[in-house]
Amino acid sequence: MTEGLLLLVGLFLPLFPLSMVFNEVFQRIRVANLRVVLLLIWPQIGLVIAHTASVEIPDWVIFWALGSALLYAFRALALREVGIWTSFIATSTWAILWLLMDGQTDFSKMALYALALSAPLALLALLSGELEKRFGAAYTGLYGGLALSLPRLSGVLVFVVLAIVATPFFPGFSVMMAAIIGLSPHSFFAAVTVAVIWLLWSWAGARLLQGIIVGPVQDEVKTDLSLNGTWVYSLILILLVISGTYSIGNL
Amino acid sequence: MEQLLIILVPALPLLAALINHLAYGQLGQRVAKLSVTFAVFSFVIAAVLLAQAMSGNDANQVAIGGTWGILLADPLSTLMGLLIAGISLIVRMYSVRYMIEERGYGRFFMLLDLMTASLLIMVAAGDLLTLIVAWHLVGVLLYFLLGFDSSSKTAYRYAFWTLITYRIGDIALVLAAALLFHAFGTWTLADIFAQITENPGAHEYFGFALEELVGILLAIAAFARSAQFFLHTWLPYTMDGPTPVSALMHAGIVNAGGFLINRFATVFIHTDSVMHLLFVVGLVTAIIGSVLMLTQNDIKKALGYSTMGQMGFMIMECGVGAFSLAIYHLIAHGLFKGTLFLSAGTVINEARKNDGAPKDGLYTFVVEHRIAKRYQPWLLMAGITLIVPIIILIFSHWLVAQDFFQKQGAIVLLFFGWVTGAQLLFTTYRMGAQNVWRLVGVIVLSFAIIVLGYALISHAFDSFLYPDPEFSSQMYIAAGIDVFWFDVLVVFTTVVIVGGWLWKYYSEQNDGPTQERIGQLWTSFYALVSREFYMIDIYARLTRMLLKASSRLNILLRWR
Repeated sequence: MTEGLLLLVGLFLPLFPLSMVFNEVFQRIRVANLRVVLLLIWPQIGLVIAHTASVEIPDWVIFWALGSALLYAFRALALREVGIWTSFIATSTWAILWLLMDGQTDFSKMALYALALSAPLALLALLSGELEKRFGAAYTGLYGGLALSLPRLSGVLVFVVLAIVATPFFPGFSVMMAAIIGLSPHSFFAAVTVAVIWLLWSWAGARLLQGIIVGPVQDEVKTDLSLNGTWVYSLILILLVISGTYSIGNL
Repeated sequence: MEQLLIILVPALPLLAALINHLAYGQLGQRVAKLSVTFAVFSFVIAAVLLAQAMSGNDANQVAIGGTWGILLADPLSTLMGLLIAGISLIVRMYSVRYMIEERGYGRFFMLLDLMTASLLIMVAAGDLLTLIVAWHLVGVLLYFLLGFDSSSKTAYRYAFWTLITYRIGDIALVLAAALLFHAFGTWTLADIFAQITENPGAHEYFGFALEELVGILLAIAAFARSAQFFLHTWLPYTMDGPTPVSALMHAGIVNAGGFLINRFATVFIHTDSVMHLLFVVGLVTAIIGSVLMLTQNDIKKALGYSTMGQMGFMIMECGVGAFSLAIYHLIAHGLFKGTLFLSAGTVINEARKNDGAPKDGLYTFVVEHRIAKRYQPWLLMAGITLIVPIIILIFSHWLVAQDFFQKQGAIVLLFFGWVTGAQLLFTTYRMGAQNVWRLVGVIVLSFAIIVLGYALISHAFDSFLYPDPEFSSQMYIAAGIDVFWFDVLVVFTTVVIVGGWLWKYYSEQNDGPTQERIGQLWTSFYALVSREFYMIDIYARLTRMLLKASSRLNILLRWR
């Protein structure tokens, strides 16, 4: 892979500072459905380019990817706007994909890994749209107490965040396990870094949830997520759980 | 048939959770009774499995998935399974009425059922993947149980502390599992242990023997789960969660560290220094937890620090090679601490009406710290204090195993027993009760019964959990240090403790400037303890610094 192609892949499987392009694009788009499309497609473009070029990835790119994933996981800690949070965590998770491109993993598996990481983020983008519809902004610490006032929306949000932070039975868990298993025998430092990134996601996820669902019930009454909508989200989450459970067995 | 029973133990609470979630609309509050019914069946089956294991049946296992989902029915898993099934049954029965007025009654029982299922899978896990998944889920579920009252920001704040500490432990466990998998090419615990036993020290990573590196990582995982010093701050502060959750957490969940060390005993006996690390961390935690417990004026927080101290002792027991004793300890502690938590509310309620404290010598000594002036002949009392406990300890241990005294770990435990017994008698002497000889007699009798019971039961546990005497003695060997330094340490510690008693006696007899200086020192120490050694403040400051750095970085990079 020429360096130019590497940089191009680094744009779609974001490496800092090329990652700023994705974050700029994502944050400029205000329509939730478009954000969903972007989240699902962006890393796949990177994978297609990487697969087509089919050249070995140098070690220094692995460390660059690790640094990028760590940087964005750390930066996500202080975020309060759900949209920016989504784009930062997306950047952090996609950078992990570099660690799995060892030449032995086939393209379809990598594409599934990317989809597994993007799908819950896409759900969060939709939920963020739902929050904006009701409150004018999807922002932590602004309203709070949604667990009591909007239980369906909160319930779905909790599971989506759990999926994003790679909780067991969601596919992200297998991706993180695969990354750590692949790295630990060769570079303990790199494996520990991946583990720390995972820890930072959990921290950021807990802060996001606590800023939205926790707190006393609000006076202003808002409509909860519709029953049909809840079923659709639940079905997607169940699909993710099934695929995640299956993927643990293939580790 | 046995394989079906192994699956049913965790599957029943899982099924209860599922029915609860799907049918809460129809069943309403009856879901609680459903949960209890399933818990009863799960408990009975767990008891049957333990009975089978005790009757000498070979360890059995069932594989649900391909490379993972293996559940074991060996002595350790059946014993722990019965404990968890029993405690969670009591907790659920207690919660039926206790939680009735709470919003989210059904959700609470669903979470309890899921937590029970995760704990049961965790102790029965026969492969690394199942263990990691269950281990991780316990932390996540505990976060939501502790933050059950979603209107309470404080509850979630401390639930978050728990989550993040547990995640540190999860990471260590994942890293250990990854190394083991790479070295042996299998996730199955039995295969890994067989290969380690056959060829210990065969693998090296980053200049360390595999067992050493994995041992350290497993120890970190155990420390996080069992609230060892530096990773303990979450435990005493998680009291904003519902009382049944506190009971389950203190009686069952925190014990996971001791369980993990026992499960990986094969790894630990092939390490050089990890057992010493367990001993030191456990000892420090036991001392600090106990000191902090004594300074609390909130009963639940005092119980929290008491658990920390007990967990320290449990880890320390592992560190001296007494693995099975740690299991006995965690069961005994789980039962009494669960009882204390579940009855704490009643005690507080009763105490509001009548404190029930008798205004006698014991009360004035323990509560008001007034030391009696009518002392018995001190030489005689000193003799009893030093000699009686040691006679009881040596005799009771000699009864169960004649070679007991050749193990350094056993001597350390005997030493602790002696200090405890002697301290008790020393305190009795200072109390100056009306009939001191009667009191001393009762204490000596109680001490003898406890020590004898402890020795007999722990011996029975050892025979059940580790029937191979060679394996059992390997644990003590792995925990041992050079004999010369061991003797030096024992003599030094004895001199310090006896010297401390004599100093205390002397200073109480002679008032003066020395006494005043000690008083000032004591006050400074108390101030330090009352701030919990500033650990909370340090962590809070660190967290704020990290969040500030993250925020500044975002501003610098313009949120892109």
